[in-house]
Amino acid sequence: MTVCLVPYCMQRRGSSTPAIAMALLVLAGCSSTPPAERSDSRDHYEAANRKVFAFNMGVDSYVLEPVASGYRNTVPDGGRAAVDNHLRWASMPSTAINSTLQGKYENAALATLNFLVNGLTLGFADLSEDDQEVHAEDFGQTLAAYDVPEGSYMMVPVLGPRTARSLTGDVVDFVMNPLQVFGTSNAADTLRTAQAPVGAVTFRANNFDSFNDVKYNSLDPYARTRSVYYQTRISLLEDRVAASAGSAVSEDEFDSLFEVSE
Amino acid sequence: MMFRRHVIAVGMASLGTALLPAGLVSADERQDAASALIDRMIADLKDFLATDTGDVEARAAEIDRVLGTYFDMETITRFSAGQYWRVADTAQRTEYSGLFRDVLCGTIVRNFDQLDGLDYTAGASSAKGDKFVMVSGTFTDTKGVRPPVKVNWRVLTPEGSPPRVFDIEIENLSLLVTQKQENVAVIRKGRGQFTALIDAMRARLDAPAHSN
Repeated sequence: MTVCLVPYCMQRRGSSTPAIAMALLVLAGCSSTPPAERSDSRDHYEAANRKVFAFNMGVDSYVLEPVASGYRNTVPDGGRAAVDNHLRWASMPSTAINSTLQGKYENAALATLNFLVNGLTLGFADLSEDDQEVHAEDFGQTLAAYDVPEGSYMMVPVLGPRTARSLTGDVVDFVMNPLQVFGTSNAADTLRTAQAPVGAVTFRANNFDSFNDVKYNSLDPYARTRSVYYQTRISLLEDRVAASAGSAVSEDEFDSLFEVSE
Repeated sequence: MMFRRHVIAVGMASLGTALLPAGLVSADERQDAASALIDRMIADLKDFLATDTGDVEARAAEIDRVLGTYFDMETITRFSAGQYWRVADTAQRTEYSGLFRDVLCGTIVRNFDQLDGLDYTAGASSAKGDKFVMVSGTFTDTKGVRPPVKVNWRVLTPEGSPPRVFDIEIENLSLLVTQKQENVAVIRKGRGQFTALIDAMRARLDAPAHSN
């Protein structure tokens, strides 16, 4: 039932610097699409973005999809849950810092506590008995909290969809993540390096059917991915995911329906 | 003096009963009706799942029946084409309506197996303006393998007509808004021609579906 289709790196930290640098180079070199040729007014670089999306789908077909399929079929549920736990644990420092910057002190405290308690197992086992869920917060959300404009939509090679603001947030999160500073042993290095690719595989595996349905069965996979990205991002920014009977969709979206009878 | 004060008090109370509670009752009634609709639909689906043999045609027929019984397909179809519904002529609207329903049925049938082993727990409901009621719920995997999934049913509650489901939001992701934005993108890529969407839908239906 889960219809979460936005690539892993959009939701978690651990993005790779080369991919971000490549994205900036690609965008610096491409001209914006004329407004009349855009299928969405927020997508200023649509022509270039569609090319990058085609590239990303190629990477998915040749690398990510087969690896994720193998991961799903060979790793038992318990093992997959442990890897998911570890990746969530690794993002806790970033959540703690960004929650503090946004004034969400309770969430910051929960993230810190979760990081410390589960640090005993490097996050592979969830030792916290607290039922309260820690809401992931990134620097893109922090920038949004300070009313920084989101900028244009962009499709980043390998990483997937971003806005200029969320891409900037990724760079900052990457730089200020305490895990980059602490732990200089080979084991720590290996763990850090493996997080991004492992995260991409687990995300693809956890959303295997939904992702494939968009990729293979939609009318325009690019447009659908963009729509899902914006809705997911808005719900994160408005902290509505956990809200009961809430909705990330603005009521304005439906107003046009009743303005004209036909 | 006492009598006049008493009359005024009774008058105010009557006015209050006539005005304030009427609005509250109406909102409550809309919410109750919307929740009852979702409960009936879930019960209906559970009955079907209990006897489901995996036959694709039987599933398609059931989905078509559920869409016709519980969903406001006419309004959904109109909304899904965005502002381009207005530029479409009658023949295009008719053809699009049929294709849209087929595409929708196909999507649900392809993902039907994901419903297996899910338990539904009804949640709260809240009025969204004077036209919609949002009914929340949670799907839980009885085997505990998949994480719980929050769902919101956006129910259209028009005055004088029975409520009908208008949209489904899964983890705050609106399926209808996603479909609309995709459809509008297809039309814009086709230089604003409504036929571009019809052609794309026909091509999608003709192509062999990638099974999950």
